[in-house]
Amino acid sequence: MFAKLKKKIAEETAVTQRPGGATRIPRSVSKESVASMGADSGDDFASDGSSSREDLSSQLLRRNEQIRKLEARLSDYAEQVRNLQKIKEKLEIALEKHQDSSMRKFQEQNETFQANRAKMAEGLALALARKDQEWSEKMDQLEKEKRFLTAQLQEMKNQSLNLFQRRDEMDELEEFQQQELSKVKHMLLKKEESLGKMEQELEARTRELSRTQEELMTSHQMSSDLSQKLEELQRHYSALEEQRDRVTASKTGAENKITALEQKEQELQAFIQQLSVDLQKVTAETQEKEKLITHLQEKVASLEKRLEQNFSGEEHVRELLKEKMVAEQNLEDTRQQLLAARSSQAQALDVLETRVQELEQSLQASEEKLKQSSDIVAAQEAQIQELAATSKESSRAQQQVLAVEQQCRERIHALEAQLAALERARAAEQTAAEREVRELEQENAALKESKNECECSLQHHQLELKKLKEEWSQREIVSVAMAQALEEVRKQREEFQQQAANLTATVDEKEQILQEKTEVILQKEQEILQLKKGHDSALLQTHQLQSELEALRSLRAQESEATAREGLLRRPGQAQGLALSVSEPHVTLRAMQDPTYQLPAAGGIPNGEMGAMDLRQLQKEKQDLEQQLLEKNKTIKQMQQRMLELRKTLQKELKIRPDNELFEVREKPGPEMPNMAPSVTNNADLTDAREINFEYLKHVVLKFMSCRESEAFHLIKAVSVLLNFSQEEENMLKETLEYKMSWFGSKPAPKGSIRPSISNPRIPWS
Amino acid sequence: MGGFFSSIFSSLFGTREMRILILGLDGAGKTTILYRLQVGEVVTTIPTIGFNVETVTYKNLKFQVWDLGGQTSIRPYWRCYYSNTDAVIYVVDSCDRDRIGISKSELVAMLEEEELRKAILVVFANKQDMEQAMTPSEMASSLGLPALKDRKWQIFKTSATKGTGLDEAMEWLVETLKSRQ
Repeated sequence: MFAKLKKKIAEETAVTQRPGGATRIPRSVSKESVASMGADSGDDFASDGSSSREDLSSQLLRRNEQIRKLEARLSDYAEQVRNLQKIKEKLEIALEKHQDSSMRKFQEQNETFQANRAKMAEGLALALARKDQEWSEKMDQLEKEKRFLTAQLQEMKNQSLNLFQRRDEMDELEEFQQQELSKVKHMLLKKEESLGKMEQELEARTRELSRTQEELMTSHQMSSDLSQKLEELQRHYSALEEQRDRVTASKTGAENKITALEQKEQELQAFIQQLSVDLQKVTAETQEKEKLITHLQEKVASLEKRLEQNFSGEEHVRELLKEKMVAEQNLEDTRQQLLAARSSQAQALDVLETRVQELEQSLQASEEKLKQSSDIVAAQEAQIQELAATSKESSRAQQQVLAVEQQCRERIHALEAQLAALERARAAEQTAAEREVRELEQENAALKESKNECECSLQHHQLELKKLKEEWSQREIVSVAMAQALEEVRKQREEFQQQAANLTATVDEKEQILQEKTEVILQKEQEILQLKKGHDSALLQTHQLQSELEALRSLRAQESEATAREGLLRRPGQAQGLALSVSEPHVTLRAMQDPTYQLPAAGGIPNGEMGAMDLRQLQKEKQDLEQQLLEKNKTIKQMQQRMLELRKTLQKELKIRPDNELFEVREKPGPEMPNMAPSVTNNADLTDAREINFEYLKHVVLKFMSCRESEAFHLIKAVSVLLNFSQEEENMLKETLEYKMSWFGSKPAPKGSIRPSISNPRIPWS
Repeated sequence: MGGFFSSIFSSLFGTREMRILILGLDGAGKTTILYRLQVGEVVTTIPTIGFNVETVTYKNLKFQVWDLGGQTSIRPYWRCYYSNTDAVIYVVDSCDRDRIGISKSELVAMLEEEELRKAILVVFANKQDMEQAMTPSEMASSLGLPALKDRKWQIFKTSATKGTGLDEAMEWLVETLKSRQ
């Protein structure tokens, strides 16, 4: 504990000694002397406490001498204090004067500076505003131009877009045209094809027509032939009719003859009948005669038989032969008569028969003639009929021919009409097509013209665009240049602003410095007051101590050695502390003398002459004063600490409770101490394991066990610090956690060296 | 091996959690700020003996926020948590004029740590809703912030109970962390 404190003190002194230059040599010397005094006294105590108890009396005497010396010193100090007080008063007055003058100066300076600053700021602001305005105008102009250009660009873009649209439309139109043309061509081709077909048909029709005409001609010829034939036939017919008339006349004649002949036939037949009747009579007579002949022949046969039988009867046979000869003569006579009749009749018959034959022959001839004439008539009639039929046929044929002719004509007419219609249609189509073609060509021409125009305008526009772009680029360059210029101006402005800020900062700093200075002055005053108080208290204490000493001296004479020893042991410590407390303000006062004595010299310069030199000097002085002040504060602190330490050591060594009054008195001079030197705890040493908050350990371990791996990973260090883990243990914990966090790898095997029972209690990192 | 894969995964998905420490003297409002950031509500807190750790998501960035107890006795353990820290939120009570010196010295000592060399510093001048609160510039000068070198720092005036200023601070922090990556 003490060692540490001592070390600290030594460090601090070293620190303070380092910056302290040649100017503060006496102060450091005084400090050294104090330190050495303290050290000496400490050594004395050590020697007192350990070895030489016998020399107490001599020591006592020495102490007495020391006390006497101290008393003398104290009186000196009192005088010095009085002198110091006087000096202090003077100093105060000087300080006030100086302060006033400096304040005035500062105020004046401040005013002038502020005025200057205001002017500068105004000037700058005005310049800036002007420039800003200019630039803003320029910017506005540029923006306007930019807007104008952008508008133009937009227009151009629109125009180019329109152009492109027009071009597209044109292309479309051309396409349409081409399509239309191809359509028309196609239609024309089709029409031509149909025309060719029609012409072929027409040709076929004309061929047919010629054929039919030929047929007609042939039929005409035929008809003429037929008419000729007809005429011939009519002539023939008339001839035949004449013949027929003749024939009929002959027929009637023949019929008349036939009737006559039939009458003759009837007569003849009647004659034939008479003849036949006569013949029948004759036949009948012949038959009777034949019967008489047959009877007589029978009588002759009967008489011959009787003559043979009666031959004798010759007179009867001669008489019968004489009768027979008479009957034969009669028969011969009748036979002759009959032959005669018969011959006459045969002759008549023959005549008649010839006559009939003749008649029949004539009849047959007439009949044959009739037959022939009728045959002729029939033939003629057949002929006539044939002729009539032929004539009819011919007329029919003629009619047919006429009909065919008419049909043909009609067809021809129809065909011609069709042809005409087709030709008209073709002509119309051709004209329409031509018209369309012409229109399309016109359109095409118009479109081409428009295209050309558009291209021209496009080129024009492009040129314009290029121009505009050039302009734009120029403008952009100009604008860039302007922007750069603007940027420069801005930079300038910023610089100006910075300068202004710097100026304000310097002003602030100066003000701050001023304030600090006044504070320092106040502090000094306070210090002086405190020192005064301390001095007073020290004086009081010395008085007290003196009275005590006197009391003790009287007591010492009365009391025994042992009690005297203890009392003496206590007294030197107190005396030492007293000496220290007395010396401390003395030192500080002496330290303060330097600046305070310098101040009147600085204030000696007449206030009327204000200048930069003055200011600089003042600043320098101020800085020096500040530094000195700081150093003084430090030394005061150090002294206080040292005092405290010394007091503690004294207390410990003497094993006496410190005097409360003394403690309070010594505690007062540094009320701002905790603020001036706060203890940094987050960097404090962690070795003191007893200070570990058990609550904290509990919480951390609980969190370590319950939180996520990624969070626990960050807690390893805390846990290992809290639980005093070794490096190996900490690494093992880390590896285990990494294994838990990762998806792969194997569980790290605990190394043999990590065994909590064996591992040394490691000193954690400092 | 696993660490390699996890690092690949984390680099693939870009979900590395930012590690933020909330530090400051006791009673500065660290725990209130942590839970205000996490759940957006004011919670009643007791003095933290130990620490609180929460995952806060802000603008698609995940933060692992550690709120360490600021009591004098457990302040020495802050250093156990310094490694791999991306940012430090240092909370200061704007009304506690007496202890701002202690706060400054703690801050300076903390910033001297090598492990926090690259950490971004965000100072929350908390309790700005109080009437006697110091201004941020005042606090910055009393904390010695302008003297800091090689350190990205920013001071924000916040009020954890009112919830003001936290968004701006987090916004700045996120932007700074993003730009630093």
